[in-house]
Amino acid sequence: MKATVPRLTLRKTLKKHKPQLRLATNVDLLVHLNFLLFLHRLAEEARTNAFEDKSKIIKPEHTISAAKVILKKSRG
Amino acid sequence: MLKRVIQSQPQVSPLAPRISNHEDKQEAHAEVPSKRVSSMGELQLPDVAPENRITVFCMTKKRKKLSISEFERAAERRLPQYQAQSTLDSTIMTRSLHMSVGSLLAPDTVEKRGLFRRPKIRRAVDMQEFEGRVEQYMLKSKGQNYLVDSPSGIRTSILTSDAEMMMNTTELFVQPQLHEQSQNKSALEPQLSNLKTSAERSLISDADQEEARLEGLVSGVSTNEKRYSKSSRLDHEHVDRMTHISPQTPAKQQEEKQDHSHQSNGMAQISFTEEEVVCSIYRWSSSLSFTSSSKYLGSPVTLNISTISLREVVSHIIEDLEISETKEEMINAVNGVEQERIFQEAAEHGANAGYSEHLEKKLSEKADLQITAARDNRGETEMAPSAGEELAEGSIGAQGSPTADSEITKGIGAESLGRHSHAFSSFRKPEMTPLNETDEQGGELQDQAVMLELNSSVEEPAEDEAEYPASQEVSMKTPAFVRAPASNLLLSKPRVAKPASPRSPVQQLQPKVLPRRLGTSERKPREPQIPRSWIKEAFRHFAKMPVTTDAYRIVEKCCERYFQQLSDDLEAYTHHAGRKTVEAADLEVLMRRQGLVTDKTSLNVLIERHFPLQYRKLLIPVAVSGNKVISSS
Repeated sequence: MKATVPRLTLRKTLKKHKPQLRLATNVDLLVHLNFLLFLHRLAEEARTNAFEDKSKIIKPEHTISAAKVILKKSRG
Repeated sequence: MLKRVIQSQPQVSPLAPRISNHEDKQEAHAEVPSKRVSSMGELQLPDVAPENRITVFCMTKKRKKLSISEFERAAERRLPQYQAQSTLDSTIMTRSLHMSVGSLLAPDTVEKRGLFRRPKIRRAVDMQEFEGRVEQYMLKSKGQNYLVDSPSGIRTSILTSDAEMMMNTTELFVQPQLHEQSQNKSALEPQLSNLKTSAERSLISDADQEEARLEGLVSGVSTNEKRYSKSSRLDHEHVDRMTHISPQTPAKQQEEKQDHSHQSNGMAQISFTEEEVVCSIYRWSSSLSFTSSSKYLGSPVTLNISTISLREVVSHIIEDLEISETKEEMINAVNGVEQERIFQEAAEHGANAGYSEHLEKKLSEKADLQITAARDNRGETEMAPSAGEELAEGSIGAQGSPTADSEITKGIGAESLGRHSHAFSSFRKPEMTPLNETDEQGGELQDQAVMLELNSSVEEPAEDEAEYPASQEVSMKTPAFVRAPASNLLLSKPRVAKPASPRSPVQQLQPKVLPRRLGTSERKPREPQIPRSWIKEAFRHFAKMPVTTDAYRIVEKCCERYFQQLSDDLEAYTHHAGRKTVEAADLEVLMRRQGLVTDKTSLNVLIERHFPLQYRKLLIPVAVSGNKVISSS
């Protein structure tokens, strides 16, 4: 795990999407947390797909299918 | 005397040290108060205090109580004393001492017989002058630095050369003032205002001084300030006057000078630089004696043909300031009559016979007018070198095009400033309406002739240039004589420095070439991007399996999509809560809806799981040993 979180980049990304939206202090950390968890879920799903395919490497096809599922799940 | 001494012997001793002490203090404070007006009171008070103490101690016990009124009186008296004290004048000090002592002693008791008192020698005149100067200085320094040492300034003023005087800030249209005064002022405010202003003022002051040293110091100071403000107005006036210059005949130089100084100041060129130049010119002229060489006049006359552009004037001013040898120049410029002669001579020396002939004709007709007019306006100030430069400029311009020449001549002729870098010629502005008029009258040949003359007189390659003007249409006559002194000055003075210096700024003025951006080109605003490496690392950690590179690209895309969704959701939650700022609660709601946060796993658990300590501290109030709780901001 990295020691530092790209907090500034997160803020800029959110601003780019929603310029009018403001962020409170340390909220970006929670956003980052959310992002990590999202990646976590994505990786798990991709690994599962790779297992089902009996391959030892995660291939893009596994990732794509995993992404579809997780993205849908991630929608609040 | 002896009796007094004997009687006062025992009493003098205690006083003597006091007096000396007092004097010392006064001396010490003499300079300081002069420096700072504001601090004067402060200085005086402590000064008075010890003195009082001493007096009380020495004099008698009767004097213990010094009424406040007395003290104030003494202090007040001391104030002007200190103010006036710019120099360590023993008389002043003694006087002040006596004043202070007297004030202290007089009201209290009868003067002791034995008290030794120095005769109060009052140099009323000196003091008045000095005080006046000081006041002026104070007035001026109010808006400006107080740090200028009046005593030092005054001294320096006396010692300063003309160049320094130029540096001093004197108003444009300083009415006739005492020469000393102007000097003092200039010295006092060396630090003030830029060169231009100083040049103007110095010019004006000088001109005024020579012309009429009548006005008092105080009036001068006040007028200076006013003049400065009115300079703009005067310039307009001068412009009008300039138009009338041509018809003017070479009247008394001084008179003309005055007029011209004003005229020159108010020359059509409203630009500040012009004024400055004029001022500088007049100053030079005024400072210099009129009887100086006729030869000087010759050169400027020959040189001045083209009108002087503003820039030329400015350059001239700059040059003037730089060059300390103003006197010679001034002398040259001053003589109007000489200019005429010079002009004629220049015509004779014209490179082109034909031009010379023509020039002579026209010169005879209008040379007088122009010369006198130009000389009056500028002649005094025109510096030979400047004139020479102008000529060079004019010649250069002539090369370019006939219009350029006319412009050049106009520029030169318009304003008296002789010194102009070559570049200035190109920058001449048509502002010199009066000059233009005169120039038009003069005709091309005149300008050419002048150019030629100037060139001949000027050592610089102006000669080559002079030929060009002849061929081209140059109608400005006035610049001829204006240039003459400039050319003379050039000859006399080190020209290399002058042309080089003015040229450099002129060149700089020329079309600005934007510096090319090398290497460091404009940075395109990079879009915020989550570092790929970071994503890769996190994903690999979570997946615990080797991941192909292609898969990573997909992961990146997913991330982008994810962020979009995230921002939308957060906005919805925040808006639902009636807020505009996303809060932690909103995030928690989101996570709960995502299924990340359940009844089993709380948010804090998640934080602890995934965040390093430093971030955990930020998000969760941490209880540390020692009964300390580190709460999230």
